[in-house]
Amino acid sequence: LVELGINFDHIWQKTLTVLHPLKVADGSIMNETDLAGPMVFCLAFGATLLLAGKIQFGYVYGISAIGCLGMFCLLNLMSMTGVSFGCVASVLGYCLLPMILLSTFAIVFSLQGMMGIILTAGIIGWCSFSASKIFISALAMEGQQLLVAYPCALLYGVFALISVF
Amino acid sequence: QGGGSAVIDMENMDDTSGSSFEDMGEMHQRMKEEEEEEVEGDTGAAEDEDGEFLGMKGLRGQLGRQVADQMWQVGKRQASRAFSLYANIDILRPYFDVEPIQVRARLLESMIPVKMINFPQKIAGELYGPLMLVFTLVAILLHGMKTSDTIIREGTLMGTAIGTCFGYWLGVSSFIYFLAYLCNAQITMVQMLSLLGYGLFGHCITLFVTYNIHFHSLFYIFWLSVGGLSTLRMVAVLVSRTVGHTQRLILCGTLAALHMLFLLYLHFAYHKVVEGILDTLEGPNMPPFQRVARDIPVVSSAVLNTTAKAIALTL
Repeated sequence: LVELGINFDHIWQKTLTVLHPLKVADGSIMNETDLAGPMVFCLAFGATLLLAGKIQFGYVYGISAIGCLGMFCLLNLMSMTGVSFGCVASVLGYCLLPMILLSTFAIVFSLQGMMGIILTAGIIGWCSFSASKIFISALAMEGQQLLVAYPCALLYGVFALISVF
Repeated sequence: QGGGSAVIDMENMDDTSGSSFEDMGEMHQRMKEEEEEEVEGDTGAAEDEDGEFLGMKGLRGQLGRQVADQMWQVGKRQASRAFSLYANIDILRPYFDVEPIQVRARLLESMIPVKMINFPQKIAGELYGPLMLVFTLVAILLHGMKTSDTIIREGTLMGTAIGTCFGYWLGVSSFIYFLAYLCNAQITMVQMLSLLGYGLFGHCITLFVTYNIHFHSLFYIFWLSVGGLSTLRMVAVLVSRTVGHTQRLILCGTLAALHMLFLLYLHFAYHKVVEGILDTLEGPNMPPFQRVARDIPVVSSAVLNTTAKAIALTL
C-alpha cells in the first residue's frame, strides 16, 4: 500500500486534525496530495445516504467536483502563493467527515425539525471551520479565515441539503 | 537565458525553449537518425537470427516509444503554453484582495442610501463580496425550492437556481452598463458588477426570512423596506455619477424596476407551492387517531364452546 502512496499514519493525522476543530493545524501536512482518504469519505457519505433511502452518488460526485473546482479558482485568486487542485480536493474531502456523521444521524432520525436544523448548522460550521483552518495554515493567509470559511460553508451546505431532504 | 540579449546562444538552449516548429524539426531529425539505425539493425539481425539480442523488434519498439514520448512532450508543451496565455485568471486577482472587516462594512453600507448626490460616490471595485452573495442567493433559492417541493420539469434544481442568479447578476449588470454608456454615466463594468452584487444582500435577507415564515403581508413589508433600501442605495450612487435629468431617470428607473421585480419574481416563482400544501394540511378538522376497544360479542363465545364440545366428542 505504501507503494501506492497510501500512508495510513498521515491519513490518521489528517483525520484527527479535522475532528478536533480547536487543534492548531500543521501547515506541512497538506504538502503531499492524498486522494485516497477523500475518496473513501465520499463513498462513505454516499453509502450512508443510500442507507437512508437516497440513491444520490451522482450528486455527491458532481457537487464535489464542481465545488473543488470553484474553491481552487477562488483560493488561487485570494492567496499569494498558488495552490494545486489536488491539495484543495484533499482538504475538502477530509473535511467531509463530520457530514458523514450528519447523514448517519439522518438514517435514524428525520432532520427536518428544529433539532435537525440546529444539528445541521453545527455540522456545517464544524466542516467549514476545519477546512478554512487547514487552508489558512497551508497557504499562510492570516486574517482571512472567515473569507475562506464562507464559501466552504456554502459548499457543505449543499451537501447538508442532500442529507436533509 | 539573458533577458535583453538579441543574440541567442545556441549552446545554452535547452529542450524547453524554442518554438514548436523547431521541436518538430528536431523530432524529424531524430526520427531520421533512428531510421538509419534501424536499417543498420535490420541488416545486422538478418545475419544472426538466432541471436539472443532482440534485433529488429526491439529497435522498432524502442523507436515507437521514443516517438510517442516526443509527441507527448510537444503536445504538453503547446497545451501548457496556450493555457497560460488564455486562462490567465491573475487578471482578476486584485478584485479578490479583501479583508473580512471591509466586506462586512460594505455589506452594511449597501443598505444605507447616501443623500449626497452632487459628488460622484465611491464604489468599491471588488468581486469577492458580490460573488459570495450570488452563491448565497443560489443556496437560499435551493433551500426554498426543497422545502416547498418545487418540481422543475425541464432541468435540475441546482441548474435553475444557478442560472437564475448568475443570469440576473451578469445580465442586468451588462444591460445597465450598456445604458450607462448611452447615458454618459461614469461607471466601469467591474463597479457595476460590484454595485449590483452588493444590492443582492437585501434580496438574500428578504428571501431567507420569507421562505421560512410564510405570510404574504410580511413579504410585502420586507419587499418595500429592505428591497427598497438597497435599490435606493444603488439609485443614489448612479444618480451621483450621471449628469442630466432624462439620463438619470432612464438609468435609475430601469435599475429600480428590474431590481424590485426580480425580488417579486423570486418570491412568487419558487415557493408558491407551499401555500397549496398548507391549505390541504389544515383543511377540515380531523380528530386525533383513537383506539377503540374491540368488544367480542356474546354469540361468538357460544359458537366457540359448541365447536370445542363437537371436536371433543369426535375425538
